[in-house]
Amino acid sequence: MIHVRRLALAVAVPFLVGAGPYDIPLFSTPKAPAASGSARLVFAQSPFGIAVTADGHAQYDVQVTATALPAPSSLGAYSVYVAWAATPDLQRWERLGTITNGTTTVGHVALDKFLLVITAEANAAPKQRSGPTVLHGTSPSGWLQSFLNHPMFRGITG
Amino acid sequence: MSARYLLLAVSLGIPFAAAFPQQRDSMPGMDHMAGMKHGAPGMPIPMPKGMPMIPGLVGLVPPGGTFLPGAGLDPQQLPAAKPTEVVRLNEGDTLDLTAALVRRTIKGHDFAMYGFNGQVPGPLIRVPQNATILVRFHNRIDLPSAVHWHGVRLDNHSDGAPGVTQEPVAPGASFTYRVHFPDAGLYWYHPHVREDVEQAMGLFGNMIVDSPLAGYYAPANSEHVMMLDDLLINGDTLVPFGGAGPNFALMGRVGNVLLVNGEPNYALHVKKGEVARFYLTNAASSRTYNLSFGGAPVKVVASDESRFEHEELVPSVVLAPAERYVVDVRFARPGRYAIVNAVQAINHYKGEFEPEVDTLGFVTVDASPPKADYGRAFATLRANSAVTREIDRFRPYFDKPPDKHLTLTVQVTGLPLATVQFMTIDTAYFAPVEWIDGMPDMNWLSTSAQVRWILRDDATGKENMDIDWHVARGSVVKLRIVNDPKSFHPMQHPIHLHGQRMLVVARDGIPTRNQVWKDTALIPVGSAVDLLIDASNPGNWMLHCHIAEHLGSGMMAVMHVDR
Repeated sequence: MIHVRRLALAVAVPFLVGAGPYDIPLFSTPKAPAASGSARLVFAQSPFGIAVTADGHAQYDVQVTATALPAPSSLGAYSVYVAWAATPDLQRWERLGTITNGTTTVGHVALDKFLLVITAEANAAPKQRSGPTVLHGTSPSGWLQSFLNHPMFRGITG
Repeated sequence: MSARYLLLAVSLGIPFAAAFPQQRDSMPGMDHMAGMKHGAPGMPIPMPKGMPMIPGLVGLVPPGGTFLPGAGLDPQQLPAAKPTEVVRLNEGDTLDLTAALVRRTIKGHDFAMYGFNGQVPGPLIRVPQNATILVRFHNRIDLPSAVHWHGVRLDNHSDGAPGVTQEPVAPGASFTYRVHFPDAGLYWYHPHVREDVEQAMGLFGNMIVDSPLAGYYAPANSEHVMMLDDLLINGDTLVPFGGAGPNFALMGRVGNVLLVNGEPNYALHVKKGEVARFYLTNAASSRTYNLSFGGAPVKVVASDESRFEHEELVPSVVLAPAERYVVDVRFARPGRYAIVNAVQAINHYKGEFEPEVDTLGFVTVDASPPKADYGRAFATLRANSAVTREIDRFRPYFDKPPDKHLTLTVQVTGLPLATVQFMTIDTAYFAPVEWIDGMPDMNWLSTSAQVRWILRDDATGKENMDIDWHVARGSVVKLRIVNDPKSFHPMQHPIHLHGQRMLVVARDGIPTRNQVWKDTALIPVGSAVDLLIDASNPGNWMLHCHIAEHLGSGMMAVMHVDR
């Protein structure tokens, strides 16, 4: 199973590298199988050209482009789609804003690595995620690899 | 070294050494290193904490020999570097500026380094706007040199760019510059020959050009110049520079001792409620800073060539190499405020981000108030209508198609196999800005003989000094620069254009909302940045990356502004 995952990573990485350090492919879920999308990170406006928090986290706006999202109400008692940024351990969720089909800019997000998750929700400002996920992706920084874990060196560099 | 390391060294390093001209000899001046901060004894460069050298690189040294200032001289025989003196000059005045060896004592160790007029930083030249001065430069160091007046829109022949506007000034020789200051603001001067050595060793200084306008800046209780740079020290030894050309060619030399005005422990005393104005210059070879003042509110007022259209409160100040910012900081409460550079570094071994915080110094705020309370003025974010009016002339050009396209990329040949292997693996993600050198072993071993950083003109395919752009004087040129994220080692580049001023009108298609005139703009990895150049100053002007090692590895071109 581990080897299968690594193979999948090896296939996925070149595609993502081609997309550059700002692009997030979004993947649909069984809740909305026809939906598709992508997102692009753009530095939030700053007099320095790049936006950085005082402790050094890059601060991005997220341009979410979605197509074929069904009406939220078709999935249940929902009225909007909300974009969230979640830490990889899923312990911290930040609401970025509502999105629709087409391109919507939400943000800011200032996490080093994060998951971008689109859920259907009952209102535009829920305190926490509760509705079904329709699209999801990983920030490019999430693909940062550990030298120590790479098969080429695993078991050698210890 | 563990058996595992040895195995990898054998499998990667030794066969490579036979195939490529990497040297395995001991490095001159590197045989007496003691007290190394990190890494194993005998390690030629300091490594990040907990990170060993890659086995395949152990024992290698960069090709091309080494260089350190004042080789063979006892630093004790050199004059001690002095603090910066303010030199106020007026129209027609002359300054003698001598580059020479000095002794600097940093963290208890004496080093032979360079200074202008015996000072590090060099004299702070303060002049009124529109003044013209003569500077008689005397080269008394052990390398050819020259002085570039960074950001100043002066006459071309005084730009100080050897190979373009003058010949290098040989050791012992002199050259006279006529420096005219048409724009108020904060500028700096530095050599344009082997910047990786000469600038890093202390040859830099600021110029403040004062506007005749009363209230040009909001009132402040005090003014302070901070020239930021860093120094790479291994124990009691400076890590040597490349002899034939720069080493650390991949990422540039990122020091492990952060300095303000040439010293490691900056200290400032102010009064409660004081508004302190800081003139900030990044004189480091490669490091981009993210500077904050212990939580005190920071208002950014101006940058390279002008004030901003409107002032903004910011959480921190990001400075790429060669950039300048003028910021006001209000220290409302008594206490001790740490000035820190805080970044999220990448640990390539773990594949994780890690916070890294360096304290540059402290501001001590005493309980007594200043003579004048400028708290209300500080709280007001001024709109500088004169700046906006001037930029309005250029606004019709903001959306025009680019006149020129440049792609930033790199070619490498002959790097150690282990470096190539690791960097090939590490291609899943490149940070838009690399704040630290996370792979100093690979970086150190890369030289300008192996790494060629490239500015590529998309229209002609020409690269670097083969680019032959001619634009008419008075034209407004839109230049789109794309930093290729797919190259062997994508990295941010602070791109500097000599002798002109420019606006960053858009980044990745997003228009800039608050304009300021610039001469240096940071181009992050994977970004497309649109620059609008006011090509008003005739002559032959360099366009280059201001990471000293990238410049020294070819990343430069010339734009001719025809009369």
